[in-house]
Amino acid sequence: MVMARKKWVQVSILIVLIAATAYTIGTNLSAGSAMPKVGDKAPNFQLYDMDGNLHELKDYLGKPVVVNFWGSFCPPCVRELPLIQEKYEDYMESELVVLGVNIGESMVAIQHFLSDKHVTFPILLDKDIVRRQYGVKDYPTTFFIDAAGTIKQIIVGEMSVGGHPSLDLDIAIRRLLYG
Amino acid sequence: MLNNTKCECGHQNPVGTVLCEACGLPVQQEMLESDQPLEMRYEGAARRSQKSNPNILDRVWNFFSSVKVAVYLIIITLIVSIFGTILPQENVIPSLDPPAYYAEQYGWFGELYHKLGLSDTFGSWWYKILVLMIAASLIICSLDRVIPLYKALSRQQAKKHETFLRRQKVLYEGSVSNADEWLERMEQALRSRHYRLTRDGHALLGEKHRFSRWGPYINHVGLIILLGALLTRGIPGWYMAQNVVVNEGETVPVPGTPYYIQNIQFTEIKEIGPHVSGQQFQFAFETEAVLYRCVDNCNNPLQKPVLEEVKRHTIKPNEPLEYEGYSFYQIDYNFNLRPMHMTLTLQNANEETIGDLPIDLNNPETSYAVGDMRIELTGYYADLTSENGVPASKSRVPNNPAFIFDVTHADGTTESYFVVPFEQFQTRLKGTGDVAGLSFELTDMEVSRYTSYLLVRVEKALTFILAGALIFLFGVVIGVYWQHRRIWVRIDGERLIVAAHTNKNWFGLRQELAKILTKTGVETDANSLDNYGVTKQ
Repeated sequence: MVMARKKWVQVSILIVLIAATAYTIGTNLSAGSAMPKVGDKAPNFQLYDMDGNLHELKDYLGKPVVVNFWGSFCPPCVRELPLIQEKYEDYMESELVVLGVNIGESMVAIQHFLSDKHVTFPILLDKDIVRRQYGVKDYPTTFFIDAAGTIKQIIVGEMSVGGHPSLDLDIAIRRLLYG
Repeated sequence: MLNNTKCECGHQNPVGTVLCEACGLPVQQEMLESDQPLEMRYEGAARRSQKSNPNILDRVWNFFSSVKVAVYLIIITLIVSIFGTILPQENVIPSLDPPAYYAEQYGWFGELYHKLGLSDTFGSWWYKILVLMIAASLIICSLDRVIPLYKALSRQQAKKHETFLRRQKVLYEGSVSNADEWLERMEQALRSRHYRLTRDGHALLGEKHRFSRWGPYINHVGLIILLGALLTRGIPGWYMAQNVVVNEGETVPVPGTPYYIQNIQFTEIKEIGPHVSGQQFQFAFETEAVLYRCVDNCNNPLQKPVLEEVKRHTIKPNEPLEYEGYSFYQIDYNFNLRPMHMTLTLQNANEETIGDLPIDLNNPETSYAVGDMRIELTGYYADLTSENGVPASKSRVPNNPAFIFDVTHADGTTESYFVVPFEQFQTRLKGTGDVAGLSFELTDMEVSRYTSYLLVRVEKALTFILAGALIFLFGVVIGVYWQHRRIWVRIDGERLIVAAHTNKNWFGLRQELAKILTKTGVETDANSLDNYGVTKQ
């Protein structure tokens, strides 16, 4: 009897220790690092667009997503915007999702800025929260996220087509869609 | 092959026992025949982990119950921690890109440091595993020993085997003529030294300060509570340490909480004057702050959040604003002129004042009613600049704000203006009706002079950390400042044996015993009681 009770105590203590270890390691590994890297799961976020609709990144699982961080005060962001719109239209059949995350500008400023530009993909309004989550400090920064929610590529700087391959938007989208 | 652990006194001992639980006679032949002082660790009781055929559970238990393993774990953790202090860790570097930062700042060493994971030593999973292993060792080592020790000390009897007594480190052998009378005097002497007595015929046990033996186990409990409390930091909502930047006059949300904090005014006091420390000048800084809770429209950038004031406080260094477990500390500030709010006064063509347009430069409203006009803000450049002749904004900071106003008059006429207050420039873009039009004049402005940096802290585990620390200290104190002392007396006929044992301070024990024996009429001194000459204390 004493042996059985002793064993019980031993087993329960070891179970508690294993649980504590699993919990600690689990939270450690799932806690995001400063900037999500290629291969990490893209951190989930919830942001409103210009029409008041709520977009959650999780909702787009199953589709490839391009998240572009931009501001109207950032000339390279402004320059690449028409290119992003063009590619958005080109790859619409492949269900490519494009989200333009604006970095903390007022509605008025963005609305006025976009009033004479043709942009049809959702513009999401971020007040420094998602920017920090994604560790963005240079603009523009674009994340290419696959259908499983993993970051496949990060481009920092103005994107183009036919120029430097590491900044090529077309190559990046094709890699995202076709692997 | 069965091991016979039955003692000659008749008591059956569990396997692994060193000294008989009842009479103290050594169980193993080897120990019996030796002439070394008895091994009194844990009263000679069998440790729980000694078993003949260990299964996997037993092996793990045995591993962690070893003090040698515990010491190795502590040494490894110590060495690794030393490495973690060589370069600043990732949580304090001013960069969001650690690999690049370490390579730039510290060259090849920094790169290697980062690759090895040493740049985040204390947050890494392997360091946490080390700490958890120490915790496991704490728990299992203690349990393995304290339970047999407690049982042994509770069940001990006064009459011990002669061999047990003769092999103690403190011993007196002599003779008495009248056993009962002498024992009377001995009991009195022991009582006057606060010993608790147990009598068994002509055998006597005097014991005091047994509680001190629990000291090390209590301090282990304290450490386990402390480690457990540190683990709870991982529970969401239990720990937070983030910086919030607030300009004067601004109200900003605190990320991850339903709160908003407002900086009403920042004051920097710089005085030239002597300070007690001998410094030539002294300065203080503080933020008059208001804490709000958001009750509606939170996180919706299209609408202003509805805020409810919950606390007001002037935050100074070391004097935080505290509310519901959140603490707001003043940690830094910056002199940083930044326009926050401006008022434009409208005048009509006859230079009559129509009304005021109050504009929040960080989050401007889109609709305004002035006089009988409706004014829509349809364009806003926070920091006006010219990009190839086209107006654009240089940044988000309203250093040179420019506005496009669409005005609708009561009579239905509309016109648009482009206004740049700091450049005293305005132009009528288009419109129906009178050409003379309106003029916008900058009549008032609120400027933030300082940017205040606040640290938001939550530390729910603090009570447990303090509890663990206090329990640890208590355990240390009772273990260090008191000693467990036992004195056995055994009289057979006229032959007297007095033996004694303690866990610490043998010299003190011998002195005390000498005094006690002197009181009973036996002349002796501390040194002659030293049985093996090995106890130096």
